[in-house]
Amino acid sequence: MILYLLKRAAVFVLSAAVAGVLVFSFMAVLPGDPAEVALGVNATPEAVAELRKQFGTDRPAAAQFFDWFGGLATGDFGTSYVTSSPIGEQINDRLGVTAVLVGGGMLVALLIAVPAGTFAAVHHRNPLGVAISAFSQVGIAIPAFLAGILLVFVFAVQAQVLPSGGYVPLAEDPVEWFRGLLLPWLSLGLVQGAVLTRYVRSAVLDVMREDFLRTARAKGRGRMGALWRHGLRNASVPVVTVLGLQLATLLIGAVVVERVFVIPGLGDLLLNAVAGRDLLLVQGVVMVLVLAVLLINFLVDVAYAALDPRLRGAR
Amino acid sequence: MKGRLNASLVSGAVLVGLVVAMALVSFVWTPHDPVLVDAGNKLHGPGDGYLLGADKFGRDTFSQLMVGARTTLYVGIVAVGIAALIGTPLGVIAGMTRWRWLSELVMRANDLVFAFPALLLAVMLGAVYGAGTLTAMIAIGVATVPAFARVARAATMQVMVTDYILAARAAGRRRLPVAFRHVLPNIGSMLIVQASVSFAIAILAEAALSFLGFGTRPPTPSWGRMLQESQELLFSTPRLALWPGLAIALAVLGFNLLGDGLRDYLDPKLRRIRAER
Amino acid sequence: MLSVEGLTVRAHAAELVHDVSFRIGPGERVGLIGESGSGKSLTALSLMGLLPEGVTAAGRARLRDRDLVGVPESRLKDLRGRAMSMVFQEPMTALNPLMRVGAQVAEVMTLHGKPRERARARAVELLGRVRLPSPEQVARAYPHQLSGGQRQRVMLAIALANEPELLICDEPTTALDVTVQKQMLDLIAEVAPALLFITHDLAVVASVCERVLVMYGGRVVESGPIREVFTRPRHRYTEGLLAASKLTPRGTRLPTIKGSVPPAGRFPGGCVFRNRCPHADVTCEKVPALTGEGHAHACWHPADRG
Repeated sequence: MILYLLKRAAVFVLSAAVAGVLVFSFMAVLPGDPAEVALGVNATPEAVAELRKQFGTDRPAAAQFFDWFGGLATGDFGTSYVTSSPIGEQINDRLGVTAVLVGGGMLVALLIAVPAGTFAAVHHRNPLGVAISAFSQVGIAIPAFLAGILLVFVFAVQAQVLPSGGYVPLAEDPVEWFRGLLLPWLSLGLVQGAVLTRYVRSAVLDVMREDFLRTARAKGRGRMGALWRHGLRNASVPVVTVLGLQLATLLIGAVVVERVFVIPGLGDLLLNAVAGRDLLLVQGVVMVLVLAVLLINFLVDVAYAALDPRLRGAR
Repeated sequence: MKGRLNASLVSGAVLVGLVVAMALVSFVWTPHDPVLVDAGNKLHGPGDGYLLGADKFGRDTFSQLMVGARTTLYVGIVAVGIAALIGTPLGVIAGMTRWRWLSELVMRANDLVFAFPALLLAVMLGAVYGAGTLTAMIAIGVATVPAFARVARAATMQVMVTDYILAARAAGRRRLPVAFRHVLPNIGSMLIVQASVSFAIAILAEAALSFLGFGTRPPTPSWGRMLQESQELLFSTPRLALWPGLAIALAVLGFNLLGDGLRDYLDPKLRRIRAER
Repeated sequence: MLSVEGLTVRAHAAELVHDVSFRIGPGERVGLIGESGSGKSLTALSLMGLLPEGVTAAGRARLRDRDLVGVPESRLKDLRGRAMSMVFQEPMTALNPLMRVGAQVAEVMTLHGKPRERARARAVELLGRVRLPSPEQVARAYPHQLSGGQRQRVMLAIALANEPELLICDEPTTALDVTVQKQMLDLIAEVAPALLFITHDLAVVASVCERVLVMYGGRVVESGPIREVFTRPRHRYTEGLLAASKLTPRGTRLPTIKGSVPPAGRFPGGCVFRNRCPHADVTCEKVPALTGEGHAHACWHPADRG
């Protein structure tokens, strides 16, 4: 068990390092010298060289990389060439917003998917179960940003009960904070919930066919009792995989949904950075998002070990 | 024994067929020039030659939808093709190899690629080379590789322990012939299903990228960008959001249903269960 | 003790088990043999109320004075694992992979009212009774840490936990190694209360049971004391089955029953065996009744007449 976790942790660190190299070298290919860009076409070569020295871009790529990557561990992402403000701080300000957005969306998704998927599996032959499956199919087909637009149309344009966008910090006004996030959460959660419902349904259906459920019934449990006691934990193993797999989708969704609802999260920061050609900032935000996905993968591995004893012995 | 046609398969095929038909017809005919800016028809209502109305530049919505279908299919085909061509061999190798480290390496690389969602790849590619249809397709394709590799590996590992593979291996067949003769045909149905599902995801990704301005560049029509352009007019002309939204949803639904239907149609396990009833 | 009368199992239009009747006395060990598709497993599952969805049973089956067929699930649930229990064919998948073995044995007792602590202690005791070495350790193990034979012993421990009146074993040794099979059979013969033992293996049934029912095409075609049925079979199907299982002298052709078992619902009318029977004629188009005291058979042209 401990060996397994150590190994997973090592994989996580190694992946993070490789991802760092990838992100860095990708951005390094970019044509154009940040110092020249910052000073404009009329700058003297001396001034450009001076600024280059200040940015540190006159050093070899490897040295720049280690400087940047080493800084990541302490939350130092360097200083923007464009706005001259520390990137770490900007990311830090936005990270919490995106985390709340993604977390809330996931919660909505789980609250929908677990009961609905289980119900649809147990009643896969009666009309309501089939209706849930059909409904989840339709939900999957709607991208988060389209769901967002639809929700805005219904709740902001027509009913006018919720704001169509904007973000109020929690500390400022908890009620407005909640009202502002409700539609974004739903946009992410409804779609993810529909996707998850399908997986929960098929996982539960698979588990319902397992011999050990028949054993449980032979012991004297009823259908639902057997499923509840023996089925759901077994069904959760594949569902946890899907949760991990879907996280990338959720992050994409969050980036786009932030744009729909004008929420100052990481996605908004990323898109603004691209528009403003602030490459070090792009590099930083991309790295944070990639690290987040890798971290989730690691946590999924940990969850496996907690759920399935067969993996604990595995190396 | 042939599988039975099922409702998912038929309705999925119909929806996909509709999108394909729209795209094909758009090559030879559209009601109006989809990119013609015509201030006189600005926000022209539905009817009067404009079946679904016109947008703020006076461009015919229906014509745009038709050409948009072309963009969507084009991006989907290339992206899924990239993913299948790279992902499948990797997955089969990882599933068949007797070298644990190789399997491990492939899967780790896979996890790593998985940490770069299509959007991030597209943003990075776009930042370096300028965003467009090509960067979007490559980004979506590369991001979809892990899905294929995972499915191919899992399916291969399942097939590798079945009696007929063990028999073929015991009979002294080498790995490569076994892979081509036994493994690929047996995981083929799962890959076809995956392709259909990935196609749906690719459509979603393309729409999202175009919505953000990292996909197909104007003036080439794209459903995602039609949505983005409609957002500011949501209060006054919601139909501009309705049609591209509906097109995306129906296309995705179509490919998902098709995947589902194919799974039921092709999966012998499910077929046996149905026969047992 | 167990009496079954006119048990019929249907899936939609197809009749999978037709009019099966038999009795099992207290402590009696009865074998149910037949090829796959003969309806023997469905017969057992219908007694337990564990038929797959869409498959229904009719007729009458009683365990002492309690009805087993056509009663609500809530009543059957209470009997399962307590008054009657079942060991299945596939030990590798019959246990919950995420739960410790001891807890799975204890579960069947707590479910029927035993306090948790006592159930835990008794679980270890039971694991010892089915001859698992170091039962305390096994109780803490997960199923994947045990071999197939060991898992089947765990299943047996679960089945015996509440001292049921009837034990049903459905091919309990088919999936096990030959060396392990023998030990398992001896154990079952030793610990079983009244036993209904399902198998396709004639040697196995001979070593465990006293009486045997031969099923074919969803019907009981012959029944009687094992020695009589095996030495002087009357039904032509039993005869063929025995001939096919005997060791034959070198050089002679291994006798087999010609043709193969038809799929469910595709058996001929009249005598279900007539399309494969060398003795069949026009009389066989009528259904033969199961006749005879003690050793009964359902055949128009029985073997070994007189």
